[in-house]
Amino acid sequence: MIIQNFNHKMAAHCESGTITSLLNHGGLNITEPLVFGIASGIFFGYFHKMKSFAFPTFIVRNKPGQMRTNIEKRLGVKFQTYDFNNPAKGQQTLDQLLDRNIPTAAQVDFFYMDYVPSWERVHINVHFLAVIGREDNKYIISDAYFPKVVELDAASLEKGRFAGGNMSPKGFIFHLDKLPSDIDYNTAIIKGIKKACFYMLKIPIPFLGIRGMRMFARKVTEWPKFARDTEHLSHEIMKINILLEDQGTGGAGFRFMYATFLQQAADMVGKPGLKELSGELMKIGDGWREISLFSARIGKNRDLGPDKLKQLSEMIYDRADVEERFFKSLSQAIK
Amino acid sequence: MITDMTIPTEELKLEIKNLIMSTLAIEGINPADVDNDQPLFGGSNALTLDSVDAIEIIMAIQRTYGIRIADQSLARQVISSINTIALFITEQRQNPTT
Repeated sequence: MIIQNFNHKMAAHCESGTITSLLNHGGLNITEPLVFGIASGIFFGYFHKMKSFAFPTFIVRNKPGQMRTNIEKRLGVKFQTYDFNNPAKGQQTLDQLLDRNIPTAAQVDFFYMDYVPSWERVHINVHFLAVIGREDNKYIISDAYFPKVVELDAASLEKGRFAGGNMSPKGFIFHLDKLPSDIDYNTAIIKGIKKACFYMLKIPIPFLGIRGMRMFARKVTEWPKFARDTEHLSHEIMKINILLEDQGTGGAGFRFMYATFLQQAADMVGKPGLKELSGELMKIGDGWREISLFSARIGKNRDLGPDKLKQLSEMIYDRADVEERFFKSLSQAIK
Repeated sequence: MITDMTIPTEELKLEIKNLIMSTLAIEGINPADVDNDQPLFGGSNALTLDSVDAIEIIMAIQRTYGIRIADQSLARQVISSINTIALFITEQRQNPTT
């Protein structure tokens, strides 16, 4: 069986895309950028030395799961969530939900999604997709990264849902439980923007927000001392491009998606100034893309001398400066 | 609907091949040997590119044609072959969305 009328759509990001699909199926006409923006998805964090990471790294969005909880709070929708220690119980619950025609989002390790070409698959424990049916020993999957609905063996889905390691999914699934009769988009959008501005400008933690961006700029020149050799360093430098562009960010570390959110939100909240800020953020995103390109290039060419890392550092400092001005303007625009 | 106006020209396809080859400093390949329809990534085309090359191509398209491919899932489809790039550029010239 396959759940009827589930509209498969590609999305920029797996979590916001999956949440959007579930909301759309439930009857709420909302776009992925609106979900991302209302959920205050835009973020920055730099992690120089942390137990969970073998090498310094950074994030450009809020933590996995937070988009769902923020959307619940701001739109008044309710998702039912489940996690499991026992894979058999996890499968049974999923089957029961599908048998009740309930599209169900699952958190998986992307590596086991074998409908994706092998050269694109990497181990990421926080990939989200929607399971929209089952037939024999296969599940019907709507994966926002894939152009069409696909089938996946039950064994592969189980491996993905119960993969080990950091941020293990533990069979986590969720589905839409309740939609409110009325949604106050104006308040939801303003709250979402205010929180994003707080995260970027005022969060009192030195490695988060704009301060985190400046820490990244300062510390990236120290990366060679963490690397085993040039190969390792080049791999980590090239990962900057992957984190900004390849992992479902919508391009430029989610900056383009947030710009689209502001464009769409401007009319909804009657603040045309947000459209100008949207254009500004698109240009800021172009600067992040220059960083992606520069990192990819110096990493690939193994051209990783101190002068190149200093240049990279200056490019990141520059993004911190323009984003600080941008978020201050955004904060003013919604007063 | 595909009309004559949205059918990419052979000139544009050749221009794209040359753009990719100059951007990535690829030498020793005749543009005519690059199959318009074969995948550029992970395939057996004369140009076999990797994911690092993707950002180079996306930026080169933006600089040359003024078209920003913001959405990464769209980018994966757009730059999958010479034909898909040419079609995207032709469509964007008709109806700009980025």
